[in-house]
Amino acid sequence: MKRPRSFRLRLLIGSILWTGGLLFVGHVTSILVMHRFPTVRINHNTLIGIAIALGFMAAGLLQMRTGLSPFNELRSRLSSMRDGRNRRVEGDYPTEVQPLVNDLNALLDLREHAVSRAVAKAGDLAHGLKTPLAVLAQEAERARRAGQAELAAAIDQQVDRMRRQVDYHLAHARAAASGAAPGARCAVAESAEGIARTLRRLYAERGLAISVDVPVDHSAQVHREDLDEMLGNLLDNACKWARTRVTIDSARDSRDGAAIVITVNDDGPGIEPSMYDLVLQRGVRADEAAPGSGFGLAIVRDLADLYKGSIALDSSPGGGLRARLTLPAC
Amino acid sequence: MEDETRLSQQLSQALGEAGYAVDCAADGERADFLGQTERYDAVVLDLGLPSVDGLTLLHRWRDAGLTTPVLILTARGSWHEKVQGIDRGADDYMSKPFRMEEVLARLRALIRRSSGQTSPELRCGEVALDPRVAKVTRNGTPVRLTSHEFRVLSYLMHHCGRVVSQSELTDHIYAEGADRDSNTVEVFVARLRRKLGASFIETVRGLGYRVNSSRADR
Repeated sequence: MKRPRSFRLRLLIGSILWTGGLLFVGHVTSILVMHRFPTVRINHNTLIGIAIALGFMAAGLLQMRTGLSPFNELRSRLSSMRDGRNRRVEGDYPTEVQPLVNDLNALLDLREHAVSRAVAKAGDLAHGLKTPLAVLAQEAERARRAGQAELAAAIDQQVDRMRRQVDYHLAHARAAASGAAPGARCAVAESAEGIARTLRRLYAERGLAISVDVPVDHSAQVHREDLDEMLGNLLDNACKWARTRVTIDSARDSRDGAAIVITVNDDGPGIEPSMYDLVLQRGVRADEAAPGSGFGLAIVRDLADLYKGSIALDSSPGGGLRARLTLPAC
Repeated sequence: MEDETRLSQQLSQALGEAGYAVDCAADGERADFLGQTERYDAVVLDLGLPSVDGLTLLHRWRDAGLTTPVLILTARGSWHEKVQGIDRGADDYMSKPFRMEEVLARLRALIRRSSGQTSPELRCGEVALDPRVAKVTRNGTPVRLTSHEFRVLSYLMHHCGRVVSQSELTDHIYAEGADRDSNTVEVFVARLRRKLGASFIETVRGLGYRVNSSRADR
């Protein structure tokens, strides 16, 4: 198939041809008129006529320009969808373009539906696996009490590995899908407050002070579920190690304000600087028996990557671990 | 409240061994009925129950003013879901698979917190009860109790100073549908008095029983 020429060029050629024809017809007509009325001379009136003709031509050009402008608008709408400001192509378009826009929106609906179905299926698979895993873990417990400690430990280890795999890949499937679906926007404060509320309950026995200091107007270009997952893992990890307090705050990137930097501090023992990169790597602690932080932080890193953000670890002023999560602002 | 039979059996067995009376519900409607009609110390709730899902159930209970501590035990372990669970009124949230000791420890903590106790050990006068190891001591000397006696005592001590009716005790020590006989409560109380001193459990005529630290001190 031949590559179609530019829309503008076609319109231009079309109108030149049209004008050429029109000119020819006009020329013939004027010759006929001149033969019929040979006495008429060029005067004031003809100049006015020419001026009106020029005005018509200018108006025609303007009309063509404005006629093509919906395409520019369509383009800006599409790019705003890509950076997540809109979910659908909105607005009214000329009769030729509107059906196209409608079809595009229908396609987006279909895709969103398919993606959410796929995520739901991945979730069903994961949750379907977890109950049998729970049963298996209890059977291991029974085996241990029956004196089969070695068998029990082997089952436990495998159950733990499977659980981590399921959790990890489920979080990934979810995030990959939501990263693909445009229109993400979430207020950091809302998510942080929710997680803090939850952790205060879950760690009620420890009496940790979990304080949230996030301005209400800080929003990031992420989906709520994924921000919850990132902050949940970060804060949960902080709570596991903290002695008395955990803090979370956020700031706009000092350079251009295009990013939100969320900082989580704890007053726990912290970790060796040489380990910072290692704990962010997937599966570092997957095979260790201790309730490790590695996997949770790896999920945070992967989610942050997906949203073109990043995570960095260093030591907090209080001596514990400080995690800095950077996400695109909106 | 758990719809997977094997897991449900394992849970109720472990809880039973730890000295709790357990009722199981395999679907939302039944769970709702039990939750609204029976008095429980704590509820272990799965979210993916058939007929009515766990979150709706929890919301319904909290709307109805039910304050029973609820531990959500579910396969759904994302943070977003945890936040939803806690915001709907759950007191704790654990995801599957889990360690039974952790479930027991968290339930103990919930029951203790809901009855206003702050240390894991319950103490009334000269009698101390440690729910973690199901051990009872009187003036530091261990006292051997049967599991039913332990349940009666632990319920009374959880509500130290309050009058507990006989039917409340019966509800508490027997699983629903078990062959109940209110006379047996009297038998257990009599045995406990023999083991812990006659004045430790006071009979409040027409109302029920009460353990009182001041009375036990005499």
